[in-house]
Amino acid sequence: MSSQQAEDFTLHTPETPDRILGDYPVGKVYDEMRAPDGSLRAHYQALAAMLATLSPEELQRRKQSADLSFLTQGITFTVYGRDEGTERIFPYDLLPRLITASEWRMIERGLTQRIVALNHFLRDIYSDARILAEKIVPRQLVYSCRHYRRQMCGLEVPRNVYIAVVGSDLLRLPSGEFVVLEDNLRVPSGVSYMLTNRRVMKRTFPRLFQSYGVQPIEHYPQLLLATLRSLAPEGRLEPNIVLLTPGVYNSAYFEHTYLARQMGIDLVEGRDLVTHDNIVYMRTTGGLKRVDVIYRRVDDDYSDPLAFRPDTALGCAGLFNAYRAGNVTVTNAFGTGLADDKGMYAYVPRMIRYYLGEEPILNNVETYLLTEDIQRRHVLANLDKLVVKAVGESGGYGMLIGPHASTAEREEFARAIEANPRNYIAQPTLDFSCAPCLFDGRLEPRHVDLRPYILFGDKVQIVPGGLTRVALEKGSLVVNSSQGGGSKDTWVLE
Amino acid sequence: MNFYSIRHLTRFRYAQPVRESIMEVHMHPRTDEAQHCLSFSLSVSPRCRVFSYRDHYGNNVQHFDIPGEHNQLVILAESVIEQHLMDPLPTALPPSAWQDLADQVEDGDYGEMLLPSQFTQDSAALRQLAAELRVSRAEDPLTVVRELTESLYRYFEYVPRSTRVDSPIDEAILSRKGVCQDFTHTMIALLRSLGIPARYVSGYLYRGSDDHDRSTPDATHAWVEALLPGLNWVGFDPTNNLVAGLRHIRTAIGRDYADVPPTHGIFRGDAESDLYVAVKVEASSTAPVLDRRQPVPDDWTVLVERAREAPPRPAQSASAQRAQQQQ
Amino acid sequence: MLSRVADSLYWMSRYLERAENTVRQLDVTLSLLLDTSETSTETRWNRLMISLGCTDCMAWSGDIDAMARKLIFDTSDPAAINACIHAARENARQVREEISTEQWQRLNRLFHQMHSPQAQLQSRGNISDLLASIIDGIHLFKGVTDTTMIHGDGWQFIRLGRYLERAYATATLLDVHRETLLHVQEGENNGYRYLELVGLLRCCTSFEAYCQVYTADIVPERILDFLLLNRDFPHALRYAIDGIRHSLEAIESAGARRAPEALHACVGRLQAMLRYTTIEEILRGDTGAFLHSIRAQCQQIHEVLYSHYMHYSVQAALAL
Repeated sequence: MSSQQAEDFTLHTPETPDRILGDYPVGKVYDEMRAPDGSLRAHYQALAAMLATLSPEELQRRKQSADLSFLTQGITFTVYGRDEGTERIFPYDLLPRLITASEWRMIERGLTQRIVALNHFLRDIYSDARILAEKIVPRQLVYSCRHYRRQMCGLEVPRNVYIAVVGSDLLRLPSGEFVVLEDNLRVPSGVSYMLTNRRVMKRTFPRLFQSYGVQPIEHYPQLLLATLRSLAPEGRLEPNIVLLTPGVYNSAYFEHTYLARQMGIDLVEGRDLVTHDNIVYMRTTGGLKRVDVIYRRVDDDYSDPLAFRPDTALGCAGLFNAYRAGNVTVTNAFGTGLADDKGMYAYVPRMIRYYLGEEPILNNVETYLLTEDIQRRHVLANLDKLVVKAVGESGGYGMLIGPHASTAEREEFARAIEANPRNYIAQPTLDFSCAPCLFDGRLEPRHVDLRPYILFGDKVQIVPGGLTRVALEKGSLVVNSSQGGGSKDTWVLE
Repeated sequence: MNFYSIRHLTRFRYAQPVRESIMEVHMHPRTDEAQHCLSFSLSVSPRCRVFSYRDHYGNNVQHFDIPGEHNQLVILAESVIEQHLMDPLPTALPPSAWQDLADQVEDGDYGEMLLPSQFTQDSAALRQLAAELRVSRAEDPLTVVRELTESLYRYFEYVPRSTRVDSPIDEAILSRKGVCQDFTHTMIALLRSLGIPARYVSGYLYRGSDDHDRSTPDATHAWVEALLPGLNWVGFDPTNNLVAGLRHIRTAIGRDYADVPPTHGIFRGDAESDLYVAVKVEASSTAPVLDRRQPVPDDWTVLVERAREAPPRPAQSASAQRAQQQQ
Repeated sequence: MLSRVADSLYWMSRYLERAENTVRQLDVTLSLLLDTSETSTETRWNRLMISLGCTDCMAWSGDIDAMARKLIFDTSDPAAINACIHAARENARQVREEISTEQWQRLNRLFHQMHSPQAQLQSRGNISDLLASIIDGIHLFKGVTDTTMIHGDGWQFIRLGRYLERAYATATLLDVHRETLLHVQEGENNGYRYLELVGLLRCCTSFEAYCQVYTADIVPERILDFLLLNRDFPHALRYAIDGIRHSLEAIESAGARRAPEALHACVGRLQAMLRYTTIEEILRGDTGAFLHSIRAQCQQIHEVLYSHYMHYSVQAALAL
């Protein structure tokens, strides 16, 4: 029976895909390309067929030409330290990750629901705090969060939008279900790689791209600009929109320059800005020019030495007062990190029910709150099976992967948890999905996640696709670019 | 006497001209149940536009900026307030008050005043002090707070300028001396550790001819407010071993000093700054008329407490800046 | 355009021009040393240092090759070629998004070339080849600057930096060589003198251009005339000042703000000084004072320009 089925999916090409598939294993995790019985999933057939027609040399040639394409487009990051100033391209995988139209519709609906609820939550917390009064979210979780900004209380933000630019990380469980691993509501990055991956892939596999009918994502910068414009202070009809970057040493600086250029807006640093009488200006060769909207890629703490950390050299003194007065829009708003706190994450499904009266379309990953005695005892007893994360960290730092950790590491985490339980959460180790990646002309499965980019101005918009991050190391579950992760283009099919 | 007029003068002098000064001030007396601010004015030199907003603790905050070069910055806050006599405190609360307090905390929004804040962090010295003073949930909450006020009054010696604005409380605890901020922060940290919500009050203390307070007269002052069941927020002054009354004039409340410094700002330029603060509080039994033309007299009492330090400048090395950019 | 960006582009350009000038002068000095002459190696080195504007650095050590390598590679010395290239690249990096990818790559390649072991090796073998390849690198950068960048404000600030640096350096160079240029020593060997004069022209990459105008008849007065007053040669002072005027006008007409009178005045004065004079008039007067005045005016233009476009006070800007 299974061979019959496999026969049905076999390609109508003289060559079998075995040459490149080789011993591509089908494990217990969900494989994006192969069904559990080993057969190809329908939407991957054309890709496999194309690969079967290409010699290893030809694949290698395309890989090189793609490398060159990244280089010449300047899609590089600068290495500091020993190789001072050399430019490298970001690791990527040549093969696209495919998502069907129906899968995407579900993701889109689920994320829209989630972002709307999270925005409601921020609005509520920084105004009446009904959700706290009704004890759906514990107060102490809010007040002990280091991203909670009490200065935001009672402030009106344009259109009541706190989180205009979001990137949420999704995983796919063995059942095939997509779940949300985390929401990035402060300064999500990576969208430039989504865009440049697509540009390079269209050149590398033009005919395949054409035959698949892939939904476009190239208009993201335009949507972002429209979103920012829609949030301009009232009465500012031709708003001056700028992107505020921490500076050239920031790891996402390439993205800042890329987006500023794609949108045709100025890329400013804190030292370019001055405030006077609650108005923000930038210093130009033509004099001071008023700034209306700031797309902020600088963390809250560093944004304004008067309102936040006094030792910051990256911010603009008086920015927050101008913001409070409604003379400038800063987006994302301050204090949005409260809602992507890893401890708060556990409450997102409850927020969706509370604010929208709906059941979550996309589920959370099961999460243990270590402030709860019973859950903490369970976690401490099962550290070897769980993943523990520090709530304040991101990028894969401050994390214990129980099954891969040494006894000493687990003991260290146990002590840290006992000392400050609010600072950690625990989750089961996730068997998230694998997608085929190209290594030396052969396919091998690697773990992938998906980060779609959501914009929220006058409405929620999500470009179909996102950044698929790949753990390039065999067997690794860490997809973060700072720790050996790469990316691949994501094709949402029509 | 129920009426008080306050003049609060602050002057920053710079060795070299500075520019782009930007400053926030917490000097506007609060208006609430016990106290009513009848008038308030803030004069700033060099001339500039003054803006104000209400923060989320209900404090009135003024702020302004001065773009041009200046050698000095003078801020004069003048206000008139009326105090209302509150009912005297009972001698004690019933033992059930601990449960009432727990219920009130559970239902209300007091969480922020229960968590450690910048100046009220837990430490070995603090725990040692708690043991020494036998701080525990004994008797009833009111008695505990009263006794703690007195024991801190006895524990600390009042020594002006013995600590700095940003000193951690450990310094005062270990040396057993400090100023009102230190006593207040210590008491807040101890109360919070007992589960009694406690907050920082910044203000002034009027000293009449018959008063024998320990703190510097006619100065900015700080004390504690504790949440007590049935009594709401009640002020206790560990510096002078007092329950806050008519003479305690409240300008701002916060988690600790960091939320409500009288002045807070930055400027551009590389210059040493010298700060001079003078406060004059006068009492009367009828509403006084403020004479706005009256020149600022030279013989004001000079405040020697706190606020010695100039605001920190964000001058940084290139490597520190690089580290920040990597966030 | 952001003031910070204009600032970085301006300095990027000035530093590269400075590097190029240093390379050329070093190359000429080294080649003059090949011929025996009365002028000692030490005198030549010191003259080079003065015309590079670094009188109190790189004291003569007696080893010309070591000195040359120091002037090329020693990044701890701000006058070194490598230090200039490094500074240019740092400025470029601050405004990576404002320049083209080609520009960045050219500059980056030059930077890495300077740090490669081959460069060190070359400096011990054929130093002239190394210097030529640095010039090539800088010329390539200038070429892609003019062909791949929008000729907007940013490009104009690059030109301002280039021409101001060039004008200042040329005036300094002529001042240093004024004595040898104008006062012929009794019994001086004509062959050596010819080499000196050609060397001066080559410092400004102008030997061939000079020949096209005046033939190979090398006459000191004509050299001065050519390097000071020629309208069409890019390394002539007058050309550079005309270029500054042109760029300032372009920036002014594109922006909303009129440049201050002081800026118009100092550029106009210098331009008139070079336009409405003859070499005979200059030579009749105090040539040294004339050259000195040019340098002072270049410095003044820099200061006015800087305080108007880059480092203006917020209060003054608000008052407008």
